[in-house]
Amino acid sequence: MKKRILIVEDAPYMREMLVEMLEEQGSDYEVVDIAVNGKEAVEKYKALKPDIVTMDLVMEVMDGIQAIEEIKKYDPTAMILAISALGAPEYRDAAMRAGADGYLWKPFTVKNLTDELTKLVVEHQTK
Amino acid sequence: MGTMKKLTVKGVLILSFALACALLAFYLTIFKGETRVYPHLFYIPVILAGMWYGKKAIYVALFLTAVYILATYYSPTPISIDVLERSAILLVVAYIIGLVSEKKAQMDVELKETKDYLDEIIKSSADAIAVVDMEGIVRSWNKAAEGYMGYTAAEVIGESNTKFFADPEEADRIMERVLRDGELKNYRTIVLSKDKKPVHISMSAALLRNKNGEPIGTVRVSRDITKEVELEWKIEEERDNLNLIFENMVDGVYIVSRDYKVEFMNKVLIDEFGDQVGDICYAGFHNRDEPCPRCKNPEVLSGKTVRWEWHSRRKNKTYDLIETPLKDSDGTLLKLTIFRDITARKRIEEELRAAKERYRVIFEHTLTPLCVIEDDNTISFVNTEFEALSGYSREELVGKKWIDLIAEDDLEMVRNYCDERRKGGAAACCFFKLVSREGAIKYVNARIEPVPREKRCIASLLDITELKQQENKLRETCERLAELDKMKREFLSVAYHEMRSPLAPIIGYASMLEPKLADREKRYISIIEKSARELEERINHMLELARIDGKKVELTLRELAVRDVVEMVVRNLEPAAEAKKQGISTFIPQIAITADEQKLYTIFTNLISNAIRYTPEGGRIDIVVEDRGEDIRACVADTGPGIPAEHLPKIFERFYMIDTSLTRKSGGLGLGLSIVKEYVKLHGGRVWATSELGKGSKFFFTLPKREITKKE
Repeated sequence: MKKRILIVEDAPYMREMLVEMLEEQGSDYEVVDIAVNGKEAVEKYKALKPDIVTMDLVMEVMDGIQAIEEIKKYDPTAMILAISALGAPEYRDAAMRAGADGYLWKPFTVKNLTDELTKLVVEHQTK
Repeated sequence: MGTMKKLTVKGVLILSFALACALLAFYLTIFKGETRVYPHLFYIPVILAGMWYGKKAIYVALFLTAVYILATYYSPTPISIDVLERSAILLVVAYIIGLVSEKKAQMDVELKETKDYLDEIIKSSADAIAVVDMEGIVRSWNKAAEGYMGYTAAEVIGESNTKFFADPEEADRIMERVLRDGELKNYRTIVLSKDKKPVHISMSAALLRNKNGEPIGTVRVSRDITKEVELEWKIEEERDNLNLIFENMVDGVYIVSRDYKVEFMNKVLIDEFGDQVGDICYAGFHNRDEPCPRCKNPEVLSGKTVRWEWHSRRKNKTYDLIETPLKDSDGTLLKLTIFRDITARKRIEEELRAAKERYRVIFEHTLTPLCVIEDDNTISFVNTEFEALSGYSREELVGKKWIDLIAEDDLEMVRNYCDERRKGGAAACCFFKLVSREGAIKYVNARIEPVPREKRCIASLLDITELKQQENKLRETCERLAELDKMKREFLSVAYHEMRSPLAPIIGYASMLEPKLADREKRYISIIEKSARELEERINHMLELARIDGKKVELTLRELAVRDVVEMVVRNLEPAAEAKKQGISTFIPQIAITADEQKLYTIFTNLISNAIRYTPEGGRIDIVVEDRGEDIRACVADTGPGIPAEHLPKIFERFYMIDTSLTRKSGGLGLGLSIVKEYVKLHGGRVWATSELGKGSKFFFTLPKREITKKE
C-alpha cells in the first residue's frame, strides 16, 4: 500500500521537485496534497490524515516547528520528516523536540530522500 | 594727794602721845603750877603726826595749839604774844611737816607704781629679760625667758649663765664686750634650751651700775630669732638655688646696674662673651665709649619689661632677649636680661619658610588641579589649575564648601566617600562629576589625602572629562560594533539558509537526472552536483565560523575510537583522492579518546581534503596518529608544494589565503584550517604546521585523551 504524503513547502521549485521525486518512485508513495505554509499544513493534515508529512521549516504565516507541534498535538502518531536548509544542530534539535521523526538536510538527492523516508517508516513500524 | 591713813596702832600711839603731852601740859601748869607751858611737849607729837598724817596733822596741831593756849590760860603766865607766836609756829611747822611728809608718801607711791609697772613690763615682755651679776650668776629671769629656754625662774636664779650657751666661752665674751662698750646691741648667738635644743637669739645687754657708778651686773634682753634665722637660711638656700639655675640654664642671664656696670653673668654668657663682671657693659661687650643706641637700660629701669631680638654680627648669632627690672635687696633697680640663642631656630624658620615657598610654588604651578579642604569642608587654598578647572576665581573659591562644586547625583556618594576616607577606610581615589562655574560637567578622578596630624585634606584632581568623552565615544562605537556583529551573525544565519536553499533543486534534480542520461551527460551532471556540493561546503564553513564567533558551539563529548573516525573520513574522501591518483595511507593505533565525534570528523575532513586539494596528482597523503599517554598527536602529511615559512604562522587565521591573486589555484575561502584550529582549541588541544618548500607540508594537532575540565 502506498504511503500517502502531504508535502509542506513554500518554495515552488522545491514543491515541484519533491512531488516529482516521490511520484517517480511510483509504487511506494502517493502525494495527497501540498501546503505552502504551516497553517495550511495543519488544516490539510486534519482534513486528509496523510501517513507522512514532509515539513519545510522556514515558511510564512506559521513556521514548520509550530506546524509540527500542532499536528503532533492533534495526532501523536503522525509521521513527520522535517526538511530544511537550516544546518545548525539547534534547528534540528528544535524540530525533533517539536515532534519531527526525521530531519533531512537540504540539498539532498533522490536517494537521500527515499532513504530517509524508508528509515522513518521502518522506525514507525517498530514502535 | 594725800592718802588718808587708816587708824593704825602707830596712829593710835601718836594720838595717845599727843594726848599724853596735852595732859602733861595741863598737869604741869594747873597742878604743879609751872609758870610756863613747854612748847616742846607739843612739837614732838605735831612732828610725828605731820610725818604720819601729812597735812591732816594740822588738826592735831590745832588741837594741841588749843591745848597749849588753854594750858597757858590756866597757867600763871598770862597769854602773851610769845604764846600766840609759838602756836602759830606750831601750826606752820605741823603744816610744813605734813606737806613734806605727804609729798614724800606720794613719791613713794609713784615710785612703787613705776616699779610695779616695770615689773609688769619685764614679766609680760615678749623678749626674755635676765639680770646677770658680775660673777655671771643669774639674778632675774622673766616669763619670756622661761618660754623659749624652758627653765623657770626658780631653776636658774642663782645659777651661772655659762651653761646656757652652746659655746661655753660665749658667756665670758658677752660680759667682756658689755664691760668694754657699756652695752651690746643685736648680738646673735645660740643658746641651749632646757631640752638641749639650740635656740638662735638676738641679745642686747646694758651694764648695771650702783650709786657709785661701779658695775654690778648686766641686764640682758634677748629675742628668739630661730625662725628668722631659718628663714634667712632658706632665703640663702633659694638664692643659691637660683644662682645654680642661673649658672646652669641654657639661656644666658645677665644683670646690669643703672650705671651700666655688669653685676652678674652666668656661665653660658661668660663662655660666650668672656667674663665682663664688674666692667661697663657697653665698653666690655661692644667697645663703645657710651651706651649703645638701642640700649634698653633707661626703658627697663623705668619699670618696663622689654623683649627684642638682637643679632650679634661678631658672633653671627641671633638672640631673643627679655629684659626686665630687678629689685636688689636694698631696693636698687637693676636690669635683668635673659639671652636665648635662637640662631638655630631662626635657621629652621628660614628653612621652613623656604620649604613652604618651595611647596607653594609646586602647589601653584603643578599641572594638577589642587585644593586644600578644611575640616568643615570649606576650601582654603586652590591653585591656578583648580581655578581653571572649576571656572571660579580663587577669591570665589576660598571659603566655599567644596561639596557645592559636585554634581547633584554624585553628592551622596562623595559625602559617604569623604566620611569613609576620614576614618581611613576608603580607597585613595574617588571618581565624580564637578560642575564648573559655567555649568559644564567635568569628570574628575580625585585623590583626597588627609594631611598628617592636621584635620585638613588635600584633594588632587585629574580632569578626565576628555577621556570620559572618548570613553563614551568608544563605548558607543563598541555598542554599534556589537550591534553590527549581531546583525552580521543574523545576516549570516539567514544568508546561509537562503544560499543553501537554491542548491536543493540543483542537487535534487541532478540526482534525478543522472540515471536517465547517457555517459557523457552523466559526467556533466556529476560535475554540476560536485560543484554544488563544494559550494555547499564553503557555505557550511562560513556558517560554522559564524557560530564559533557567536560562541554557539558546544562539544558533545563521548568516548570514541580515533581510527573509526579517520577511516570514515578517508572512505568519504577516497573518491576525490582517486580522481587525482593520490595514495592515502593511515597509521593509527587503536586509541579511545573522549571527544566530539562530529567535530573530530570535521577536523580530519578539513585537513585531509585540504591535502587532497593542494597535492598534485600522484602525490601521497599520510595520516599518522600517536598515543602520547596524556594526549594523542595526529599528523596529516602531504607531498604538495609546501608553504612558505612566512605564511606558516598565519595559515590558521580566518580568511587567510596565501594567494589572493586572480591567478590563484583552486582553493576555497581559507576557512577550513580556522575551523580545525577552533575545534582543536575547544577540545583543549593545539594545532600547528611544518613545511618544506617543494617537498610537502605536515599539519599536526593534539587532543587530550580525557575530557578536559571545562575552563570558563
